[in-house]
Amino acid sequence: MATGLLLRASRRLLAAAGAGAGAGRGAHGLPPRHNKKRWLRAYLEQQRLQAPPQRRSEKPNWDYHAEIQAFSHRLHENFSLELLKTAFVNSCYIKAEEARRQGLGVDKEAVALNLQDNTKLSEQGESFSRSYLTQCFEGAYPNLPAKGIGALVDFLTSQELVSYVAQNLSVQDLTLCAEFPVPPRVLQRTFFAVIGALLHSSGPEKTEIFVRDFLIPQLIGKDLFEIWELINPMGLLVEELTKRNISSPEPRITRQSGVSTVLPVYFVGLYCDKKIIAEGPGETLLAAEEEAARVALRKLYGYTENRRPWDYSKPKQGWAVEKAISSN
Amino acid sequence: MTGRGTPSRFLAAVLHNGVGRYVRQLQRLQLVFSPAAPDARGARQFVEEAALDFARRHPDVVLYISPRSCPAPLLLAEYLNGTVREELIASKTSEEIAQLATKLANQSGLDIIRIRKPFHTANPSVQGQWHPFTNKPTVLTVRGPRLPPQ
Repeated sequence: MATGLLLRASRRLLAAAGAGAGAGRGAHGLPPRHNKKRWLRAYLEQQRLQAPPQRRSEKPNWDYHAEIQAFSHRLHENFSLELLKTAFVNSCYIKAEEARRQGLGVDKEAVALNLQDNTKLSEQGESFSRSYLTQCFEGAYPNLPAKGIGALVDFLTSQELVSYVAQNLSVQDLTLCAEFPVPPRVLQRTFFAVIGALLHSSGPEKTEIFVRDFLIPQLIGKDLFEIWELINPMGLLVEELTKRNISSPEPRITRQSGVSTVLPVYFVGLYCDKKIIAEGPGETLLAAEEEAARVALRKLYGYTENRRPWDYSKPKQGWAVEKAISSN
Repeated sequence: MTGRGTPSRFLAAVLHNGVGRYVRQLQRLQLVFSPAAPDARGARQFVEEAALDFARRHPDVVLYISPRSCPAPLLLAEYLNGTVREELIASKTSEEIAQLATKLANQSGLDIIRIRKPFHTANPSVQGQWHPFTNKPTVLTVRGPRLPPQ
């Protein structure tokens, strides 16, 4: 009887001691006994980093309809949602989906998806953007020849630039495509399809403003001859000057320094009728002459670094009418 | 730490945002909280009172509410350039969470690190960048003998 009491008391004491020791260990900051392995967290992080990239639509929390609506609000545009959804569907996706359904053994009627391609919208969008950009540049730089304008438009509608713009506007998340990460060609096509959808939903004026707002800022900080590869700037300059009835340029060294050293610098000035039109630096005389020709061409075409920045203000439709009324 | 020890970047805007039109850089906000944990009380109150209001005021941000068992309530912000930012909202009140959500909605997804200069321009010089030869006479200038005063 007394031993039983003692046993129970000792068990209670042990339990209390254990709890006290546990609390004591916790108070002293010692870890509990059955914890996860030390390397587990780092291993799981490594697995997460090495996992192949997944589409956003396959990750949790994704609502396609809500995302499409947010997309149209984000761009401050009123899209018709069916056209926008069609714009994101690519032909590779349709083929992959039908192949997958056939592979799963679904019957013939259910295999054919009721989805339309975005090829037509994409072609319309691309041709509209190109024509609008050509029109813009012809108006803004009237002295720039057609080849230069063509080079600028090609740069702005090129794969890398358009896919970069599309990626930073979350077009990649919304595109329905067979491969992931979406290849740049598909992103370019999808972006032009979005422009085509906007063309059909809101009309040409709004689409023009859209193209202007997203593609033309990509020219900020870029030089004309970075975009337009010229082989013979001096020849082109002579042509341009003869078109304007100015005599051919005479190159003269205006400044030079360090001629006999390993890093010489020559400034060559181009003179027409003994008046200077441009001056350019270079490491050798030939390089300096070429650079001077390029500077002269930039001045002639009006594409210098200190030109007036592009006008992004809202075009007022009734402006011409108001001006006519106010002048009367 | 020092400027060299920590990363830094230049002032930039994603896709020259603001030059053409302003596009809100926040794509979606995921509110992950536990329906029973005590530190998620503010999150639950936010969902009941202010979340709908926030979603109406920001129609271009998709707000996902996921009540599930999680170790701590989180606000996950995904930006257009791919950045994902997690903010802990444990033991925060509903107003604080609303303020935090508005702050995230006004940020771009660029890293929050030291910005080297508070300005950035693509055309720093209008009259031409100075170089040691500016305003010096050229080699072609003819300097003859001093003419007598007339």
